Amino acid sequence: MEAADRAEQFIPAGLASLRIEADEVDLAVMSAAHQMFWPAIRALLSFDLGDLEAERNPDLSRAPEPT
Amino acid sequence: MSALDLSLRGQAAAIAAGEADAAELLDAALARIEERNPAINAVVATFPEESRAMLAEAPDGPLRGVPVVIKDEWPLPWRAQRFGAAELLAPTAPGESGPYRALRDAGAVIVGVGNMHELGSGSTGNVSVYGAARNPWDTERCPGGSSSGPAAATAAGLVAGAVGADGLGSVRFPAAYCGLTGLKPTFGRAAMSGHHMAAVTTLIVSGPLCADAADCRLLGATLFGEELAAGDAAGLRIGVVRDAVSEDVTPEVREACEMAIEELRSATGGEIREIELANLEAATLAAILIINGESLGGVSPERLNDLNPEVSPINRGFLKYRMLLPAAAIAQAGRIRTLMRRRLAALFADVDVIAWPTIPAVAPPLEAPLVELPSGTQTADQANVRGAALANLTGIPAISVPVGLSSDGLPIALQLQAAWGADALLLDAAEALERANGRRWVDARPPLAQAEPAET
Repeated sequence: MEAADRAEQFIPAGLASLRIEADEVDLAVMSAAHQMFWPAIRALLSFDLGDLEAERNPDLSRAPEPT
Repeated sequence: MSALDLSLRGQAAAIAAGEADAAELLDAALARIEERNPAINAVVATFPEESRAMLAEAPDGPLRGVPVVIKDEWPLPWRAQRFGAAELLAPTAPGESGPYRALRDAGAVIVGVGNMHELGSGSTGNVSVYGAARNPWDTERCPGGSSSGPAAATAAGLVAGAVGADGLGSVRFPAAYCGLTGLKPTFGRAAMSGHHMAAVTTLIVSGPLCADAADCRLLGATLFGEELAAGDAAGLRIGVVRDAVSEDVTPEVREACEMAIEELRSATGGEIREIELANLEAATLAAILIINGESLGGVSPERLNDLNPEVSPINRGFLKYRMLLPAAAIAQAGRIRTLMRRRLAALFADVDVIAWPTIPAVAPPLEAPLVELPSGTQTADQANVRGAALANLTGIPAISVPVGLSSDGLPIALQLQAAWGADALLLDAAEALERANGRRWVDARPPLAQAEPAET
């Protein structure tokens, strides 16, 4: 994950793997987005939720079923 | 006073009683758009012929003959939505959307399409293929987004009500910036068919933007296809959270919202309870990740390489960045959603509503949508979304109500959130608050709307 922390590595590698073209403006926007989102995404991924499983096809118009 | 300056329900009642002529009202709305819209760029399309045809065929419904604006997010039989962008990632075509049918069947007349933040991706409304919409309270300020046009049109008195959409606060932000009442319904309750993401979204809902709660009740019931019965919100248990959503806000916002919460408590004979709601930051990110995944589903890299060059640079770059986000993060977001839904279900056993500011700071300048908060300078998008995403993530309803004006004359708003299906309670609470403050804020009108406050 540490390599992904650095926009200059994460973004070109990701773009190359998906064959997405990007110009300098795209890269500047992506770098700013990475700085904004990546630390929070890392924190989210390491958030210990124990054995909590996501609801399958949750009915979002209602409260969750009691566990 | 023009009938156009009546409330939404006032216009409906006047037409039903024969005190106002619906054809004259439509002409007045079209003339008002011509007169005031150049200053705010709220309405991006009018179609007098189709509007007159809607009026000619209008059934005797609760909104018969009442002009409304609909966001550029749904197709109409004569116009495909553009989503505020030069190009959408999904195909669109003219057609009968759910909100269109709901409005038509209620007898309403769609008089125009409302501007919106490009691709629904911002809380400010300053980026759009049509050019920025502007805030009627100060045309150099953001009107809020993404339902920028519906809000600005309603606040400026072009119409008395408009239909917006809310995927991450997009009804509530512009309602707050423009001094309106805006309801984000419980997920799945309001008409959504025809939206280009209707089949995949688990966050986006349609919702009304009006001057006050009674008008939102009327337009909301139209979108819901069912009555939103009025109650009195007696004994309201108000949950407040001591967290960044209520504390990392400007002093003026904090003061106005705290005063409004106390007024609401007093008016309902209720009580204020401090509650714990941890991990709001994770919930916000989870909602962003989920909506990213849903909006990019089925989009190929080649598609992004061929993107219309007129899509704004910020959205072009951001779309490409979003393609790189790991699937594991979206899976984790689903688990956070379950966690927060369970927490809310437990909390709503103890409180009826949860209250915090809709926006941490008043509308920022169009040219630089930044806000100064106790924690420092942030983009308005960053600051706004943290108070809005929970309702979309979990499906609960929320409402934004005006509760003050800043020292520079810009609206301040309080958000109330309630349990799934308690949309009517939110409207009851908003009305109780209006009564408590003597309708001071819902009757306030921006400089651009020079007419007298609407009589109800």
